[in-house]
Amino acid sequence: MLADYAAGTLDEGRSLVIATHLALCRQCNDFVSALEAVGGQLLEQIEPAAMAEGAASQALSRLVQESAEPREASNKELGKPIIWQPEQDTLLGYDLGPWRWISPGLHYRAVKVPVGNETRVFMLKAVPGLKLPAHRHTGTELTCVLSGAFIHEGGRYAAGDCDDADQDDGHSPVIDEGEECVCLVAMQGNIKMTGMLGRLIQPFIRI
Amino acid sequence: MQTDSKALKSPSELARLIEAIAAGQDRDAFVVLFDHFAPRIKGFLMRANTSSGLAEELAQDALLTVWRKASQFDRSRAGASAWVFTIARNLRIDVARREQRARLLDGQPDENLEQPAPPDAELLASELQQRVHSALEHLSTDQMRVVRLSFFEGKAHAEIATELELPLGTVKSRIRLAMNRLRELLGDMT
Repeated sequence: MLADYAAGTLDEGRSLVIATHLALCRQCNDFVSALEAVGGQLLEQIEPAAMAEGAASQALSRLVQESAEPREASNKELGKPIIWQPEQDTLLGYDLGPWRWISPGLHYRAVKVPVGNETRVFMLKAVPGLKLPAHRHTGTELTCVLSGAFIHEGGRYAAGDCDDADQDDGHSPVIDEGEECVCLVAMQGNIKMTGMLGRLIQPFIRI
Repeated sequence: MQTDSKALKSPSELARLIEAIAAGQDRDAFVVLFDHFAPRIKGFLMRANTSSGLAEELAQDALLTVWRKASQFDRSRAGASAWVFTIARNLRIDVARREQRARLLDGQPDENLEQPAPPDAELLASELQQRVHSALEHLSTDQMRVVRLSFFEGKAHAEIATELELPLGTVKSRIRLAMNRLRELLGDMT
């Protein structure tokens, strides 16, 4: 999936989740950079397609109207960028809907990704100790933890961690003690109604 | 011009040209970069099923973006080709999403995905490029072929399977193997 992301062929919803993860995971970020370097190498090796006569001077004339952006001093400091804080109502440029109550201890918030047919993107917020009902997916569900942590059969997932649940992975997550857990989720296909989660979320995500 | 674009340029030469634009809006440097990259980007887009006319236009746009964003280029973070690749890739994403959005009725303002955060600063791009180069040489022809199809032609696994007349599972595992191999070879770069 990181390869699809680096190649630019991953759908918008999942790209958003991956971009969020990359901002929080240095290792995967480095790997994507390496994949982009692969892309650069492939670009070098590709058979060039001749540009139209005079294309370069045409581009030059378009440059007359604008000068290069001034070198920006900001944005250079290293360290983890703040991707999400509770008071934010956008995420990496995408608008967020209002938090909606789903069930005791569980809230849902839509992420407004304009191209919405194949993937739905949303945030879930759950109180510590909450047991999410067991559920299955008919498609895939990509989750990035923004704060707090949850635990399921696959292990413990804390802030920055990504969980890629495939078709047929059944799981029953429990929110870890101590802190409220907020997740960003991109879901393809439907959640199967093995528990109440799907039934509860259903009206919001137009299954 | 065309012979020029085929001539090999060293990564540090390409990086120097981008830096010349950033430092002094060097138009000669721009023309050299244009002749090197525009035909490659056009080729790249045409392989991804973009019409020749649109590919030409986007290759122009990509080089104009190189001009505009030259000050953001940092050779300690990424090689010149990798950086230009991400620009071309992002343009392709923009076009694909715009088309998809147009099909879905509303022409909302474009909110492009932020570029992923830059890699660690200490990472030497030249070292990375060498690693990538040798890593690619370690892939088998079969693996290289699926990497190409997936990268350049943006093909879904199922399409690749049809094209290569292979079972879907084989394509998937080949891509996974190629990626694992690359990850192994490129993985620990901190």
